[in-house]
Amino acid sequence: MSLPEAPLNRDPSAPGADMSRRSFLRTSAVLASGLAALAASLSPLRDLDDYTSLDRFMQKYYKELTPQEMDRVLKRIANDVEREYGVRPHVRDLKPMDGVEFVYALNLTRCIGCRKCVHACVQENNQSRTPEIQYIRVLRMPHGSLDIEKAEHNYAPESVPEKGYFYMPVQCQQCKNPPCVKVCPVHATWQETDGITVVDYDWCIGCRYCEAACPYWARRFNFTKPSIPKERLNPDMAYLGNRPRRQGVMEKCHFCIQRTRVGRYPACLEVCPAGARKFGNILDPNSEVSYILRTKRVFIQLKEELGTSPRFFYYFDV
Amino acid sequence: MDIHPSADPQKTHRWTPLILRSLVVLFCGLAGAFLLNLWGRTAPLKLIPLVDRSFLDTATVRRSYADLVAAKDDLSDFDCYACHERKKPPVLRYDANHKLIVPQEHSDIVMGHGEQGRNNNCFNCHDETNLEQLLARDGRVVKFQDSPQLCGSCHGPTFEDWEAGAHGRISGYWDRKLGAFKRQACVNCHNPHSPKFPSRKPAPGPHLLRPPIAVPTETADAN
Repeated sequence: MSLPEAPLNRDPSAPGADMSRRSFLRTSAVLASGLAALAASLSPLRDLDDYTSLDRFMQKYYKELTPQEMDRVLKRIANDVEREYGVRPHVRDLKPMDGVEFVYALNLTRCIGCRKCVHACVQENNQSRTPEIQYIRVLRMPHGSLDIEKAEHNYAPESVPEKGYFYMPVQCQQCKNPPCVKVCPVHATWQETDGITVVDYDWCIGCRYCEAACPYWARRFNFTKPSIPKERLNPDMAYLGNRPRRQGVMEKCHFCIQRTRVGRYPACLEVCPAGARKFGNILDPNSEVSYILRTKRVFIQLKEELGTSPRFFYYFDV
Repeated sequence: MDIHPSADPQKTHRWTPLILRSLVVLFCGLAGAFLLNLWGRTAPLKLIPLVDRSFLDTATVRRSYADLVAAKDDLSDFDCYACHERKKPPVLRYDANHKLIVPQEHSDIVMGHGEQGRNNNCFNCHDETNLEQLLARDGRVVKFQDSPQLCGSCHGPTFEDWEAGAHGRISGYWDRKLGAFKRQACVNCHNPHSPKFPSRKPAPGPHLLRPPIAVPTETADAN
């Protein structure tokens, strides 16, 4: 801090010479108090505990990263997670498999509305517990209609299923024509070749346009730093999948990328006690989902009139 | 050097100190208020209780005979001839309404297979000449481990769906080249004596930031 020093005895005709000792003190008092007020008004920044590291700030766009750079990024993420949660995670960058396009099918005859899928998803994908972020919302609707206006998601009976109702879990529909991707101003979300729409949490600026564009209310925003208890952290992570998010970024269902891209079933499917959830490769004619779409009464893609063409199908038995 | 000829220099001079002083007081007051958090920071969120681990459990509703064998568990329930006598088929007794009277020794069995409990003859599925195996209606002998074959002898379409993976639970690898998968047997979810899928307590619903808006309850027609 070296300000140019003004000579004490200056030429009285020079500009500023009319400054008296009194006015100097007065002005500096106002200035100092103004600066103090400014600094104090910025004090809420002290609460920000999720600083962006320089590495992350300088990181290149996902699709431009070379394998070596990706390795460095993954190492950085692993270090960050270990520092914060005390668990060394296994972070990978999984690419889509060739000849694979994922499709989900959900049997509305079988779903009993127990919400186990909701919580298995939270556990698998390291979602924030407080505030609560959940990718799946289970809607309860009266029999004889499929009117989402009449749906209730806050039902809490002693036991499910209840007489006269059916249940319809809704999550990201992995549209073939995704409106959320179109509105993203920074290309932080895009559709991969296996049909999964992914989010790069390091590229997202948190403008929430995608949340507004999604007709299924499938996207969630981290208004605060997500809180995940250490003992519930899932250390099996993928870059575009379930690695812990930061405050101010969007997230959503990604068909459990860290599982499905190594050939496993998603977590919501494995936990479903009624076997209502089916998942697989639609390009394989022998897969379960191919069989279902071929032989079952597949009645909707949710809000199909919007032309989003979801990869998530609801069907009935019989 | 009068830049503002209209302004009275004396008057400006009189008000300046007052304005500056009040500004100093205001700024200092604001600074103090910010530093002392007079408005308070965002209140910490009330912790939402963690969901009970039982809701994360991927176990099936029931355990099949094959599971018990694999786990080397207690199989005494399947040791029929510990009580029954060989070559002496048990006699079934019915009440006045043609309901099977379940003997006391089998009081854990609730008969509820088929609409109105019409499948009320033990030997529709069990082999009366050898209780340690099952007998399909087409005469096929089925071991307890292979019970889906027996179920399929009546529930053809469902069995077909099950074989294709469209009915029932599955876990492991969708890509059969990369790993094994497990298809659960019928009796892992359905009790063969009363096969309706049991109801259960739902996991907690979403914790809303605001109380839910009261929706006029639709009277759902009791199906």
